[in-house]
Amino acid sequence: MKRRSFLQLSGMTAAGALLAGCQAGNEKLIPYLIPPDEGVTPGLATFYASSCRSCPAGCGILVRVSEGRAKKIEGNPEHPVNRGKLCARGQAALQELYHPDRVPQPLKRSGPRGSGKFSRISWAEGLGLLTGQLRNLQKEKGADRLALLTPQLRGILATLASGFMRSFGSPHHLSYELLMPDWLRSATRASFGSPSLPWYDLAQSRYLLAFGAEFVESHLSPVHYGNAFGRMRQERDTVRGHFTYVGARLSLTGASADRWLPARPGSEGALALGMARLILSESLADRGALAANGLGAAQLLARLDRYDLPRVAELSGLPEGSIAEVAREFATTRPSLAMAGETVAFQSNGPESVRAIELLNLLVGSLNRPGGVYPDQGSPAGPETSFAELCSLVDAMRGDRISLALIQGNPVHTVPPATGFQAALARVPYVVSFSSLLDDTALQADLILPDHAALESWGEAIPLAGCRETVIGLMQPVVTPVFDTRQFPDVLLAAAGELGGEVAAALPYGSYLELLKKETLRRVAPAAGVDSGTGWASLLQKGGHFGRTGSGAKVFRWLPEAPLPDPAEPRFAGDEKKFPLHLQVYPSTAFHDGRGAALPWLQQLPDPMTTVVWDSWLEINPGTAAGLGIGFGDLVEVSSAQGSLRLPAVIYPGIRPDLVAIPLGQGQRGGGRYAKGRGANPLDLLVARLDEAEAAPCWNATRVRVVRISEKGGMVTTGHPQGSYRSDLIEI
Amino acid sequence: MEKTSSPYQWGMAIDLDRCTGCGACVVACQAENNVAICDKKEIAQGRDMHWLRIERYWTGEYPDVRVRFLPVLCQHCHDAPCEPVCPVYASYHNQDGLNGQVYNRCVGTRYCANNCPYAVRVFNFYPHDWPKPLDNQLSPDITVRSRGVMEKCTFCIQRIRRAKEEAKGEGRPVRDGEVQPACAQTCPAEALVFGNLADPQSRVARLSRSPRRFKLLEHLGTHPSVFYLKGGGREHV
Repeated sequence: MKRRSFLQLSGMTAAGALLAGCQAGNEKLIPYLIPPDEGVTPGLATFYASSCRSCPAGCGILVRVSEGRAKKIEGNPEHPVNRGKLCARGQAALQELYHPDRVPQPLKRSGPRGSGKFSRISWAEGLGLLTGQLRNLQKEKGADRLALLTPQLRGILATLASGFMRSFGSPHHLSYELLMPDWLRSATRASFGSPSLPWYDLAQSRYLLAFGAEFVESHLSPVHYGNAFGRMRQERDTVRGHFTYVGARLSLTGASADRWLPARPGSEGALALGMARLILSESLADRGALAANGLGAAQLLARLDRYDLPRVAELSGLPEGSIAEVAREFATTRPSLAMAGETVAFQSNGPESVRAIELLNLLVGSLNRPGGVYPDQGSPAGPETSFAELCSLVDAMRGDRISLALIQGNPVHTVPPATGFQAALARVPYVVSFSSLLDDTALQADLILPDHAALESWGEAIPLAGCRETVIGLMQPVVTPVFDTRQFPDVLLAAAGELGGEVAAALPYGSYLELLKKETLRRVAPAAGVDSGTGWASLLQKGGHFGRTGSGAKVFRWLPEAPLPDPAEPRFAGDEKKFPLHLQVYPSTAFHDGRGAALPWLQQLPDPMTTVVWDSWLEINPGTAAGLGIGFGDLVEVSSAQGSLRLPAVIYPGIRPDLVAIPLGQGQRGGGRYAKGRGANPLDLLVARLDEAEAAPCWNATRVRVVRISEKGGMVTTGHPQGSYRSDLIEI
Repeated sequence: MEKTSSPYQWGMAIDLDRCTGCGACVVACQAENNVAICDKKEIAQGRDMHWLRIERYWTGEYPDVRVRFLPVLCQHCHDAPCEPVCPVYASYHNQDGLNGQVYNRCVGTRYCANNCPYAVRVFNFYPHDWPKPLDNQLSPDITVRSRGVMEKCTFCIQRIRRAKEEAKGEGRPVRDGEVQPACAQTCPAEALVFGNLADPQSRVARLSRSPRRFKLLEHLGTHPSVFYLKGGGREHV
């Protein structure tokens, strides 16, 4: 052998060995030799604009993607709703994508319902089962036996879902979510004639009076209003906005207030009218605003005669002095703003109380003014009676008039059992779930067709009341799907295509993306002069279309025929002797209505007010707890006329002695390893309606009894129960 | 405070009048820095791994009760009690005024955490795992720390490094607001402001001169780089 060929040969062997070694040991490393046009540049992150789907606020996000994997979610600075900011739930949406217990492919039930026994099937088989069920309904002339349950959809997806149901021939499309602002839309319609949600110009306001509106954690658009709150406090050189919170429980939002008025539950409307009367009687009202809305101060005052200060103080359980002081501050520190929230709305007199609070804005001239309240331009219309629709669907299911239910979302966990929903669903012969985790609803399903995670989806996010402008947020997939899943609208379209006939004719789209692109460009193009070729790409790059407030913007004006708000005496379910305490359920800061509970980052996030982790709890006033012999962390049993549950107690200084509170979100039977069997679901305690005529839900009108069981609550907090007493040491 | 040659002195201002205590910063920090997921048992033992926590103080009694929130992260002290006690120089002070931590030097004596008056250093008492495919979320910019290693807030040093490299490439200093740690970036109320204290015009430097400013446990003489701004009118307490 020549010297040259020897060297060549040995060189090749060495290189071969080296290559083999590399491949065997480092399969997961991406060699630097892969050119950038393969889509991956090692070490260089790409940011994709999309929209957050963790709550209806629809914030804009930027997702950092590195080596083809999503790494971090950040707020989109260009988005008018969240201005580059993001809440804990938005940050944690990443774990929804990479959750270890996601449903990897379609599943068919193989054991009894609720047993969690499923066998894996292919998409062809799954779609075949779905279309087979749909065809059976058509064949039996029972198209109206189909029900579709979704969260409150907006925009194109709403059109698609209702188009599917209409062309199939079924009226049973229910868009229901526990916490959606139906109540706010109907109250606004009653007072102002249009169902627009209000947009509060909080940043410019000088005095905020919030009645149970938890705008930091859940109300309408938490990131938007959290940001506006910061600006209200410290963005202006000489003005620091003042904040008074009215509510029986000092919530996370209330914790930031300068003054807390712990009004008796259900008395908020009367309190607002009492303040209105005081403002009118001391001539502090804005006469111009009253005239513009067709109201006269003298007549108004005469009609509010019943709400004199001593009576309102009696009803609300507050000192007369504080009520008068707050009313005067509110009327004289303009622009001032009154905000009504869920805590008030879910009382028996909620709708009228909300209108009473809206009247306060009118009195001080805050309608359609900077620092006041404007109608939201983005999503002007929306469901106002979805609770009544839920009740009628439950009736239909109970009467065996539904034989196929398609369910997107997790209503089995988030609808109070008192409505009879869970029992009625068990009577439906075939249930299809689109959940991406084996959540409570998927466990009751016969077929699971798993949806993409938000970060794998195309879509549109029309923000709920987070801005004055018209905003169409777009969602785009930032990574290739992790599992063999398909998007819910694509499954609907595929089923429509298979069914043929009228349904296919109504939905002639190859994919949801095609529909989304076409519709979005149609709506955006005339306004922005975007052409369809480059327009789509630039919209995706920006994260959507962010419009400006048009000159023909709508305004709030009091309807001439609208009656004055007249909140009735609040009523409560349960005998006062047997159930001495009021119960408030509130959306948890971390989990909202429960959709965040599957994510370990949110489970580990200490609740801001109690520092509890990985659990749910009951909040009780120290005095009440002492009377019942309950200590911090004790296991207690809470019972109502509807049911009972056991959970640990937190001694909570910021709550009325006649009230206890439990956060929503925990107590899931499924939902993956991080949520399953953790804590308790307070919805089990709620009474759905106080009487049959009730149109609006009263989730905060249940009375309960609390009994101590043992000292073993098993609760873990990161902070000391009382916090440190040494706050003077750090000068805050 | 020692003189250094660096044009940067990173610092933070935390406006307690803006802070609503919502916890967005806590999750953002955990997401950015590969901070381990701790189960209930671990937290019950006081071994929570969060680099940033929000302390909550109740004051007064019902109905005159108030809550105050205090986000606490590494104060990046200029006279840091954690630094001189490390036998292996794993905790060090860098030229930009940051308290660094070299994970692969750390032998886990925990002297530093013992000496930190702010209790912001966290120790990996247990091995942590990210069940597949959750491991995909791990950031490639930061090490995943193993059992026996001390870790802490770094002001997102990976972001600072990147910004400095980019600025150097373009032959300019890092601009104010160009680099933000994950917590300040996400804070809905913009309560956290990060920047260069050596630049008197930077937003953080201006806030650090506010009459509302104070430092945490200032009397200990640790000279923190984090300034807190007291809440405004507290007239109704």
